[in-house]
Amino acid sequence: MNTQLPQGFSDLEQFVEWALPSSTERNRKRRASSMDEINPFYDAMLPRLEQILAYLDQFSLREMPQDARRLLYLSLSLAEVTIAVELFHEPKVTGGCDPERFVVAREINP
Amino acid sequence: MKTIMANRRWIKNHPDLGTGPVPTETCTSSELFELERERIFRRTWLNVGREEDLPEPGSYVVRDLAIANTSVLLVRGKDRRIRAFHNLCVHRGNRLVDNDKGVCKGRFVCRFHSWAYDTSGQLTWVSDEANFYDIDKSSLGLKPIAADIWEGFIFINLSPNPSETLTEYLAGMVQQIHGYPFGEQRLLCRYRVEEKANWKVILDAQNEVYHLPFLHITYPDFCPMNEQNFSRIQNFTRFGRHTAYSVELNTDHKMKPVESIAVNANPRGGQVHPTMIGWFDFYTVFPNFCMLFLAGTYVTYNIWPVAVDRSVWEVSMYHPATEKPSERFAQEYTRCLLRDLLQEDASNHEAIQASLLSGALTHFQLQDEEIQIRHFHKEVRRHIFGEEDRVSVVSNNREALQVGAK
Repeated sequence: MNTQLPQGFSDLEQFVEWALPSSTERNRKRRASSMDEINPFYDAMLPRLEQILAYLDQFSLREMPQDARRLLYLSLSLAEVTIAVELFHEPKVTGGCDPERFVVAREINP
Repeated sequence: MKTIMANRRWIKNHPDLGTGPVPTETCTSSELFELERERIFRRTWLNVGREEDLPEPGSYVVRDLAIANTSVLLVRGKDRRIRAFHNLCVHRGNRLVDNDKGVCKGRFVCRFHSWAYDTSGQLTWVSDEANFYDIDKSSLGLKPIAADIWEGFIFINLSPNPSETLTEYLAGMVQQIHGYPFGEQRLLCRYRVEEKANWKVILDAQNEVYHLPFLHITYPDFCPMNEQNFSRIQNFTRFGRHTAYSVELNTDHKMKPVESIAVNANPRGGQVHPTMIGWFDFYTVFPNFCMLFLAGTYVTYNIWPVAVDRSVWEVSMYHPATEKPSERFAQEYTRCLLRDLLQEDASNHEAIQASLLSGALTHFQLQDEEIQIRHFHKEVRRHIFGEEDRVSVVSNNREALQVGAK
């Protein structure tokens, strides 16, 4: 089987398309998804989150294996969709401005 | 210090700010915008970056400031000093540097006739020099702009002779914030938001928390509330032209599942530094720079006027430098939360501007929890009209204001 995530996290393989390296990509994926797509990702990640963070903390952001880095990106996508799930109950910012107006001028990506 | 929930408390300490309505005209008048350009933006100290933006000798950044009708070249010299210049060649005025940032290894060379300058601004080369008349390179360097650094923040002043040093200008803020560990923080991200709104409409929207339980309906308990569920700030302080308001941590805030894990993963993010007044401190550094201290992180806004009804809002989020994945996750959570709350705020800016341009609303009505805005507009008006601004003179008296308006 083609595994993209570290051993022990194979249950999350089905969500690996959320492993996106930039915040702009993660934000766009959130907005392009329905809550029927977002909720299963959130529900699968939430009970594993503390284990995920403990696993990732074996490494430094500077040096981490590629499969761990994908898991990190999954967790950063969780941070992104959490706002949709826990606050707005829809993918977009309810009543917010066009999010594409918030242009990322600079960022540090891990 | 506990938040006092009483009504109309701040005006008691600041009666000079008055209680009357505040004119909207500075947000719509092109003539007043030109006065702001001359009497505010060309005379006060403006934040244009941080010293980390220029990490090594030769590092440079170019900032095009529409409000000052100039392009500014910031450069770190071989002596490590950061200097500011007008980004133009002194030969015939061509724009000198086109890139927005970089490292100058040798000299800045004008592509028009190849005049060259070193990183301290000295003119070092004039092509065909012998064919000029009495030219003295040593007196013809780049046109300097006053620049100074406070806590790593680079400020410039476009006045040829600034009437105050940066430290004098920042007044008591300098003592209040001294010791905050800016050096341990890194820029996580910067957003640039172009808005069809006056710069003050954007700033005012951030300069109070009255709107919190209404506009940010999904995150209503950020701030302690009184018995009627209206927000109350913990502190309001004026430092000369500048202000700070503070919010106490609301211990009744109910955390959601991922939020709770993010907060636990980020012990440094929750630490309130001793220089802070509350759990959240919001400084408005006159005219267009804001600093938000939010427990262990800070955020800055630079709100750049472009025209009376156009601005660019730069949002920079700083977090403690980290190589730890769990801490980075927590920082990402905070970043997404803040960005989305700011997108809620930004939904109003252009609507407000459009309404103001109708001319139907001549005055803002401000309550005691919006005293920050009252101070800010008073400062704007004092700079453009002088001490004898008729509104500030009569603003304690509604009748007088009506008479004055006739």
